[in-house]
Amino acid sequence: MIGTFGNSSLIIALLLNFYLLFSYSLNFFKKKNNFQKVRYLNFLVTVFVFLAFILLLWSFAISDFSNTAVYQNSHSQKPLFYKISGSWGNHEGSMVLFILILAIFSSLFSFSGVRDNLKYLTIFFQNILILFFLIFLIFTSNPFDVIRPTPAEGLGLNPILQDPLLSIHPPFLYVGYVGFSIIFSFALAGLYLEEFTKLWSKQASLWIVIAWTFLTVGIGLGSIWAYYELGWGGFWFWDPVENASLVPWLASTALLHSNITSMKTEKFFSWTALLAILTFTTSLLGTFLVRSGILNSVHAFANDPDRGLYILAVIMIISFFAFLIFILKFPKSPMPNVLIFWSRGSFILINNCFMIFFLVVVMVGTLYPIFLDALFEKSISVGPNYYNALLAPFVIVLLWFMAHGPLLEWYKFNKQSLIKAILQISFLTLVSSIIIFFYLKDFSLLLFLGVFFSIYLIIAVIIDVFKQKIISKNLARNISHFGFGILVFSIFINAYLSKEINVPIKVGQTIKQNAIEIQFKNILKSQGKNFEEIIGNFLIKDGTRAFELSPSLRKYLQPVQVTSETSIKSTLFGDYYLAINLSEFEGDKIMIRFYHKPLMLWIWISISLIIFGGLIRIFRKQNES
Amino acid sequence: MSHKIRIIILSILLILIFLFFYKVLLSEKTYQPRSMIGKSVPEFSMENFKDINRRITNQDFSTKEIVVLNFWASWCVPCRIEHPMLNELKKKYKLFLVGINYKDNASNAKKFLNELGDPFDAIGSDSKGEVAIHFGAYGIPETYVIKKNKIVFRHIGPLNQDVVKAIVALK
Repeated sequence: MIGTFGNSSLIIALLLNFYLLFSYSLNFFKKKNNFQKVRYLNFLVTVFVFLAFILLLWSFAISDFSNTAVYQNSHSQKPLFYKISGSWGNHEGSMVLFILILAIFSSLFSFSGVRDNLKYLTIFFQNILILFFLIFLIFTSNPFDVIRPTPAEGLGLNPILQDPLLSIHPPFLYVGYVGFSIIFSFALAGLYLEEFTKLWSKQASLWIVIAWTFLTVGIGLGSIWAYYELGWGGFWFWDPVENASLVPWLASTALLHSNITSMKTEKFFSWTALLAILTFTTSLLGTFLVRSGILNSVHAFANDPDRGLYILAVIMIISFFAFLIFILKFPKSPMPNVLIFWSRGSFILINNCFMIFFLVVVMVGTLYPIFLDALFEKSISVGPNYYNALLAPFVIVLLWFMAHGPLLEWYKFNKQSLIKAILQISFLTLVSSIIIFFYLKDFSLLLFLGVFFSIYLIIAVIIDVFKQKIISKNLARNISHFGFGILVFSIFINAYLSKEINVPIKVGQTIKQNAIEIQFKNILKSQGKNFEEIIGNFLIKDGTRAFELSPSLRKYLQPVQVTSETSIKSTLFGDYYLAINLSEFEGDKIMIRFYHKPLMLWIWISISLIIFGGLIRIFRKQNES
Repeated sequence: MSHKIRIIILSILLILIFLFFYKVLLSEKTYQPRSMIGKSVPEFSMENFKDINRRITNQDFSTKEIVVLNFWASWCVPCRIEHPMLNELKKKYKLFLVGINYKDNASNAKKFLNELGDPFDAIGSDSKGEVAIHFGAYGIPETYVIKKNKIVFRHIGPLNQDVVKAIVALK
C-alpha cells in the first residue's frame, strides 16, 4: 500500500517535471516572461519527491518487509533511529535523497533575488538534472519494489554501520555534493544569458558557501566515524570513497576563493565558471564511482554495471553540454585578466592552482590503479605514502600564501608593509616553534616545516584580526583560516608522534612500556538492545596521569556479528585509545591494541572552526568585505 | 583556437573518458559466475600469505577429504559479517579452511585477521584476482566446498547459519 503511494508520488513528480520543462521551453521560444507556472510546478515536483521520501522513511520505520529495500536493509529488532537512517544507507534510498536535495535547492533558489530570466533558466537546468535522476531511480533502482510473499523478517544492517555518526554523515555529504548542482545550473544559466558578471558572483557566493559548509561537515563526520568505529587508530585512510568526497571539496574550495576574486576585481570569470562546472561534475563522478561498485572499499555498495553505465552516460551528457555552453559563451571579463603579483587576488589564484594540483594528485591516486587494472591487468596499490609525499611539501607552500594573501591589498602593493609583516610573523613563529620543539624533543625536517608554516598561518591570522578596527569584519575567513592552520599543525604532530602498543595481557597483569602502564583489572558482561557485550576494565597510567579505559566486544544478534568497541580517553594534548582484538585469545590472555594519538581533539576542533567560519559567512553575509 | 576545435577536443576527451570507464565497468563482468559444481578444482598457484617462502597450489589440498575455500578481503564489509561463521566452521566443526585473500593490501588483511580471528589453515594472496577468475567467482565473499578434489558446493555472498549447516552436512 505504502509502496503504491510511493511509486505514484515518484511518477507524478516525473510528469510534473516533464510539464515544467515543456512549459518553460514554450515560454522561452515564444520569448514570454511568464514564469508563474514554472514556479508552481517547481514547488510541486519538490512536494511529491518529498512525499516519496517520507513514505520510504515510513516503510523503514514500521518495518514493512514487503518493500524489497526495507527487507534487504532493515530488521524489526533494530532501534528506530537506525531503522530510519537505514533508509538512506542503501542505494535506492540514497538516490531518493539525492533527488530530494536537487529539488529542494531548486525550490529554495526560486526565493533568491536573482533576476527572473536568469533565475528560471537556472531552475530549468536544475530540473533537467532532476529528470535524469528521476528516470534512473524509477526504472533502474526503484525504492518501492515489492517482494511477495512478504517475508516475516528483514536481513538486517551491518552493525558496524549502526553508528549515529555514520547515520547522519551521508545526508550532510549529499547536501554538499548535490548543493553544488544549483551553482552548476546557475553558472550555465549565467553563461548562456551572458550574465556572468560581478552580480552573478555576488549572488552565487551564498550558495557556494552553503554547499561547501555541508560538504565539509559531511567529510568531517565521516572522518570522526572512521576514527571511533573502524578501530584502526586513524582518521583518514585515503580510501577511494573518502577521496571521491575530497575531490569536489578541493574544487569547491578553489571555487569559493576564485569567486571572491571575480567579485572584487571583475576578473577571471571564465575560471570561476569553469570551477563551478568542475565542482559539480566531480561530485557526480564521485557518485558514479561509489554507486557503480568500481571502487573496492569499506563503502562499496553491490556491484551493478547497468546502474553504473546509466550514471556514466548521464555524467557524460551533462558534462558535454555544460562544457559546450562554456566554450560557446566563454565569459569575457570587463577588465583584462591581469593582476599585480603581490596582491590578494593573485595570491588567491596561486592557491587555486595548488588546490587543482591537490585535486589532480588525489584523482590520479584514486583512478590510476583502476586504469592500470582495466587496461593492462596490472595491479598496484596507492597508499598514504604517495599522498603524503606529493601533498605535504605543497601544503607548506600553500600555508605561506594563505597567510599573506589576506594581508595584501586587492589593487596596490605596499612593499614596506609586506616586508614588515614577513619579519614580524617569522620572528613570532620562530620563537613559538623553538618552544614547541623544545617540549616535543623530536625533530625531523618535514615535521619542522609543517609545524613552522602552520604556526605562521595562525599568527598571520591573529595579526590580521588585531589590525581590524571591528573584530567581526572578515570573521568568517579568519576563523576558517585559523582552523585550517590548527588542522595542519595537528595533523603533522599526530602523524609524526603517534605511539602504538600491541601486547597479550591477562586479568590482573600489568604491562609497562616507556612512560605508559596498562593494568587489566577485570571483565564484566552486559546486555544492550540488540547485542550482548563483554567489557574489559583497564587502568592506564601515563606519567602522573591515571584513568580507566573499558573497551568491549559486542555480539550483535542480527546478523550475528562480533565487533570490537574501542574505548577512548580524550585529553587536550592527545587521545588514549584502547581496543581488544577479537581473535587471539592465547590461553587466558587477550591481545590488546593501545594507541597514543597526540592532538586528536584539535583535529576535530579545527574542522569545527573551519565549518563555523562557513556558518558565519552564511548568516552574517552583510558584514563581510 | 576556434570554437570548432575546442568542441572537437571536448568531445574526444569525453568519449575517451567514457570508453575508459565503460571498459572498467565491463571488466567487472569478466568475473561472471560459471557453474563449477561437479568440476575439478582449477589449477592455481599463489603467494602464501603466512609463509612467503612457500607457494600455495591446488596440489596442496588434493589429498584432503574436504576443504572449505573462502574468498575474502579486508575492504569487504560482508566479509566481516560472515567471519564469525568461518571461525565456527573451524573451531566447532574442525573443517580444513583455505582463505583466498582477494585484491587486498597485506597489512590491512593482517589487521582484519588480528581483529576478527584467523580460522584459516592456509591463506593465499590473490592480489590480481586471477584465482577468482579461474574459480569463476562472482564477487566476494564467496565460499566453495571441495570434496576429493571436486567442487561440490558453492555459496555467493556472506555465509549464514543455514549455509553453515549445509556445509557441515557435506562432511
